[in-house]
Amino acid sequence: MAPPPASAVADAMNAPARPRDSRTNVDIMAVTKGFHWPWLIAFIAAVSGVVMAFLALAYQTYEGLGVAGYQAPVFWGVYIITFVFWIGIGHAGTLISAILYLFRAKWRNAINRGAETMTVFAVLTAALFPLIHIGRLWKFYFLLPYPNQRYLWVNFKSPLLWDVFAVNTYLTISVLFFLVGLIPDIAIARDRALGWKKAVYTVLAAGWQGTGKQWKAHNRTVLHLSGIATPLVLSVHSVVSWDFAMSIVPGWHATIFAPYFVAGAIFGGFAMVVVVMVPVRRIFRLEPYITDYHFENMSRFILFTSLICGYAYGAEYFIAWYSGVEPEQTSFWQRAFGPYWVSTWCMITFNVIFPQLLWIKRLRTCVPFLFVLCFFINLGMWFERYVIIITSLSREYVPAAWGLYIPSTVELMVLAGSFCWFSMFFLLFLKMFPIIAISEVKELDIHARDHAREAAAHGGTH
Amino acid sequence: MSELDRRDFLKIVGLSAGAAATAGCGDPASKLIPYVIQPEEITPGVAVHYASTCQECPAACGLHVKTREGRPIKLEGNPEHPINQGRLCARGQVGIGRTYHPDRIQGPASRSADGSLQSLSWEDARNKLAAKLGSAAARTWILGGPVGPSLDGLLDRFVEAAGIAGRLTYSPFGQHALIEASEAVFGVSAAPVFDLSEADLVIDFGADFLDTGTSPTEHAAQFSKSRDLAGHEDGGARLVAISPRQNLTASNADQWVAAAPGSEGVLALALAKAVADRKGAGEVAGALAGARVAEAIRAAGIERSLFDGLVDRLASAQRAVALPPGIAAATNAGSGAAAAVLLLNVVLGAVGERLRYPASDAKRTASLKDVLALIGEMKAGRVDCLLIHDLNPVFSLPEAAGFKEALAKVDLVVSFASMADETSERAHMLLPDHSSMENWGDASPRPGIRSLIQPTIRPLYDTQALGDTLLGIGRAMGGSVAEQLPAGSWKSVVESNWSDTNWRQALARGGVFGPMPTREVSLAPSAANLRPSMPRLQGSEELTLVAFPHSYFGDGRGAALPWMQEIPDPVTKLSWNSWAEISFEKARELGVAFGDVITISSSAGSVDVSVFPRGGIRDEVVAIPIGQGHTVGHYASMAGDGEPGVARGANVAALLPAALDEAGGQAFLSTKVSISKTGRFRRLALSQWTDNQRKRGLAPEVSLYDLAKTGGMAHFVAAASASEPGASHAAEGNHDAAGGHGEGGHAEEGGGEHHFEGPPFEFDPANDADPDQPYRWGMTIDNDKCTGCSACVAACYVENNGTIVGEAQAIRHREMSWMRIERYVGDGEDDVRDGAVRRPTPDGEALGKNEVRHLPMLCQHCGAAPCESVCPVIATYHTPEGINGMVYNRCVGTRYCANNCVYKVRRFNYFDYGRLNWPGLLGLMLNPDVTVRGQGVMEKCTFCVQRIAAARQPAKDEGRLIGDGEVVTACQQACPSGAIEFGNVRDKSSVAAQVASRADERAYHALQELNARPAVTYLAQVKRDKTEGVH
Repeated sequence: MAPPPASAVADAMNAPARPRDSRTNVDIMAVTKGFHWPWLIAFIAAVSGVVMAFLALAYQTYEGLGVAGYQAPVFWGVYIITFVFWIGIGHAGTLISAILYLFRAKWRNAINRGAETMTVFAVLTAALFPLIHIGRLWKFYFLLPYPNQRYLWVNFKSPLLWDVFAVNTYLTISVLFFLVGLIPDIAIARDRALGWKKAVYTVLAAGWQGTGKQWKAHNRTVLHLSGIATPLVLSVHSVVSWDFAMSIVPGWHATIFAPYFVAGAIFGGFAMVVVVMVPVRRIFRLEPYITDYHFENMSRFILFTSLICGYAYGAEYFIAWYSGVEPEQTSFWQRAFGPYWVSTWCMITFNVIFPQLLWIKRLRTCVPFLFVLCFFINLGMWFERYVIIITSLSREYVPAAWGLYIPSTVELMVLAGSFCWFSMFFLLFLKMFPIIAISEVKELDIHARDHAREAAAHGGTH
Repeated sequence: MSELDRRDFLKIVGLSAGAAATAGCGDPASKLIPYVIQPEEITPGVAVHYASTCQECPAACGLHVKTREGRPIKLEGNPEHPINQGRLCARGQVGIGRTYHPDRIQGPASRSADGSLQSLSWEDARNKLAAKLGSAAARTWILGGPVGPSLDGLLDRFVEAAGIAGRLTYSPFGQHALIEASEAVFGVSAAPVFDLSEADLVIDFGADFLDTGTSPTEHAAQFSKSRDLAGHEDGGARLVAISPRQNLTASNADQWVAAAPGSEGVLALALAKAVADRKGAGEVAGALAGARVAEAIRAAGIERSLFDGLVDRLASAQRAVALPPGIAAATNAGSGAAAAVLLLNVVLGAVGERLRYPASDAKRTASLKDVLALIGEMKAGRVDCLLIHDLNPVFSLPEAAGFKEALAKVDLVVSFASMADETSERAHMLLPDHSSMENWGDASPRPGIRSLIQPTIRPLYDTQALGDTLLGIGRAMGGSVAEQLPAGSWKSVVESNWSDTNWRQALARGGVFGPMPTREVSLAPSAANLRPSMPRLQGSEELTLVAFPHSYFGDGRGAALPWMQEIPDPVTKLSWNSWAEISFEKARELGVAFGDVITISSSAGSVDVSVFPRGGIRDEVVAIPIGQGHTVGHYASMAGDGEPGVARGANVAALLPAALDEAGGQAFLSTKVSISKTGRFRRLALSQWTDNQRKRGLAPEVSLYDLAKTGGMAHFVAAASASEPGASHAAEGNHDAAGGHGEGGHAEEGGGEHHFEGPPFEFDPANDADPDQPYRWGMTIDNDKCTGCSACVAACYVENNGTIVGEAQAIRHREMSWMRIERYVGDGEDDVRDGAVRRPTPDGEALGKNEVRHLPMLCQHCGAAPCESVCPVIATYHTPEGINGMVYNRCVGTRYCANNCVYKVRRFNYFDYGRLNWPGLLGLMLNPDVTVRGQGVMEKCTFCVQRIAAARQPAKDEGRLIGDGEVVTACQQACPSGAIEFGNVRDKSSVAAQVASRADERAYHALQELNARPAVTYLAQVKRDKTEGVH
């Protein structure tokens, strides 16, 4: 979809209640200060969840992967599903930061920090799962190509290795992007901090003084990083999708997988931004900055990508039927009507049917509705990976080797723990750094003022 | 010494993601300690084979015990032995485990009043028993299982010398009915020996000769020979199996006649009569006077046309042979039934040819009737001392016989058992025998064959050979008793019994083998009086209980061996527990599904058991395997699962009345039962959920007619459904074949709905190795010969240190077998709606129809292996010789290879099976040539690469290539029917290459449209009776 014209953005951003510049610093930095009960409760819950997950993981590591629900022929389970899920979540951040930046979709400025934060922590969460998945965490370094005396080398033909590179690249770039973007805001925090905090912020602010030269360098860096990050948005999840598409498994081996996964990732990522930002906005009173307009724009993205997902689901079934290949047909039939029908229909309902409500404008701006909808979309996206991975593996070529997989308690604890792990970092970030890019929001105001001046100079028409 | 070992340390270290990247894992250096004085016959690293004899069943197959550094590690068939000719069944393969078994009784002990065991010295034990015998010899009995001639002789001498009241040699699976029938028909007191190798028709009246018969390995080999397509253009022998449930023999039969249980005798006589009428009755006319054809057909519950068809078959066969009822069909009219089958053999002209009688009479053994008499004595308090050897009567005798109660009345019960069982649990004194790997002994399965047992390892525990114990007791009794017993040790007793032979040569060869001295037999006058009848079953309930011998358990002794528990039953694919087979119809009527627990009640008792509904069983029958339901034993009971004393499965003995046949043997088919729902559910470990191969070209079959008519593979490569548009599109994929073999062989196609366009890929596995390598290892598996017996699976477990995962894990499909036998019924419908989900039991079987196809599935060592390309760490890779290699310590456990393996033959070590699953000394039987896999790594068939390596060394030393036949894989070696050939397929003269090319019309590769280019070439099963059309 095309971004709205800049004037429309400016209009929206200059709503009557719009705080002045000087208030922006105070309002946004207020998130990091003071005491918020909901924050504390959430943080305690998150930390407990992390502790629980680590205990579960310790148990699994000690006992072996047998405590997970794997059973032949399903050799991948909740861990890979969750890996793909979090990688997918990590997409919206970069999309908002980089692609919308390049498209000059300025409305992104209020939500990009939140989305980027989400991205970084989502990718960090995702990156744990391959280790958890292989069971013997300490063997992970075998996957890294480095010169060694043991003749260990890696197989560049394996999509899993591409994954290692893709995820690491993505993580590096998104962290860089995130940190560079933070510099001016950290400087604000530095200027308002005292004591040891000031020392920390001073180091992190990297000597930012807000000079014209620094701004110029900063903007250039952001631009270049956006240029680098943009293809990554498409490549990471494409590569992840090739973990499946490059295999010979019926239900996986499909050319549609790369765009299908990318669209799904953006879909799920935006939904996650909504799920995360709605409570943040409510608790920290950020309504003046994150407005209904933002939510409506995100809703449009969600609706659009939902349609792509729906198309991909349909295309998969069509191709399975059209190919005439019996194992493929059986695989898909079993998906919809086999033992895993619940997950399949959850996926279709949450990801394709529910989002169609967003055609209604009132619902696009109804934040509580969006929150609930996006929660279900995230559930649906998790089920999408569940369906792809589990049902396909359970019904492969040799009927004598068909089987079923049911996640074990340990796996579900680790899954729950991953959300807590993510939340824990996100909550810590809220209390340490501005969750809205102060400098970029101000930039909007400047643009708006410039625009207004220009408009006045040209006689109020354009 | 810290309690933290390396693995634990690593696990803890591994928890920290930071440490994860740096924690190395060098194995602690451990030193191999060389012999100070090198034993002459042992070269470290080189296996030494000793000839011995298998003691798992009375067939007494010859063994080569493979030992490494003084430890027996594998049992292989003795190629010189006339019974098994180098082959060995699943039960024989795993017999090795008895020596190292955690159930071994580790030394003599006596039971104190509170039931606990106090260890004794042998000296004390001998003296104690000698004292008891001194006073109560006349009130002492010996009850034992069948033993070899030397021990038998010694026991007899001991009985005589000590003045013991009596001795019973009892086998639950005795042949009394057959011997009695022989007496009646031919006046011969012996069991006939069957030779199927020249037959052209085998009709099995419930003998189940391929699985649980008297000598399954021998008969499977003979049967395979008699229908080898290489020597028989007409397809060779046909097999008709008569059984109320589809057993393994019926699964391999050309025709399965699902006759009512117990009707074997009347049916056999009616057939004999009808065939005799057709051929001219001759001398048997009188004996056949009792035949009532119409009644027999009614009793058997079969169609008249089916009967007439059988008569046609039998009458037109030149060299037919009929096999008498086995255990599952042993009724109270069993002897009459066996006699009827013998008469049928007379009519068929099999007597003296395919059925011969040994020149000497069978030694009389105790029947159940004799044992019941002993139980009566015991109950009456007239037995003070009971010595029990090689038998577990508490478990195997029908509970209704009251042995347990009777045993309680005996003052002193002495068990000589080597492994703890239900009987030894009740014994007052345990004088454990050696295992057969530690012991001397001999066996004589039939006249003309004398087979030796020799020790291959020093006794692991403080045990003593039963022979030495008897001699010791006798000497302790002193006086005349000692004088009457032979001097010297048990070994010298055996040796002196063999003094008429060249002892050293006999030891080297495994015995003295000659042809069986036979005798001519003719109809006895008593044959005219035969009136086989339908058996009388106890009770008036609706269903008939068929207690059938489990493929692997024998009379129950096999249940102690974990491999026998874990390898799926070849027919139902169930493991680790009992099941009750009922028909789908009955299950529907009762409202139960797979796994629901039902109560089966007979007049004698009741058991609860999970139900397994299937198509291949008569509606009025409920069938339970014999041998499960032990309450003692690490694996046999639930003890190994942490529930000591709890039975694993149900013991059929609880349901069976102590019913006898005419000869006093046990009638297993003796009672009616009722079944009822309990509402409980107990999951069973079912290793295969569907028997529908969905026309995926896994196990195609060809009719003999088509084979003869067209000789083209094109007709039955069922690569995909015929509806697939553009089925030949796939042919493009072959252009990169290493040797540029190119696509060819698109045979001309005559059309027709079932016919397929042709093989999408024609390739030569020989191409898939390094161009300059002389070797490409490959295998051929002849599905037409495979009976599904699973000997290969057992051999693979033992050879390759395959771990046993137990019931809970087996339920979750985590078994670690590198090889499995897939069992498909027909080619199913390719209707995608017909998922195996709603009814997770195989359901393709139909009563009286045999469409079973067995497909041994192992790593196919693909030339374009899907597993290799996806492994990120090159843990699985293609070796220059074409083997799909697996480097365990490179594997990090992404498991992608297993997902991408189209044949689903990869196994993952979810737990540290290699460490956890060898309790006791079982770890001592590990093959040192094969790595024990650690936790978290993938494993799979290696084509026995260690055997290739072993053959390579001498070849290298002699500067030549490894010759054909020098590498024999474990599965190939075991296969009783010789279905598997292995070799270098680059050598076009190798047997494997020859078989593949000779049988070109039948050769196919599983799922070949996927173009993984497997190195295993299957030869399609041949449907001999089909006159046209393929499925």
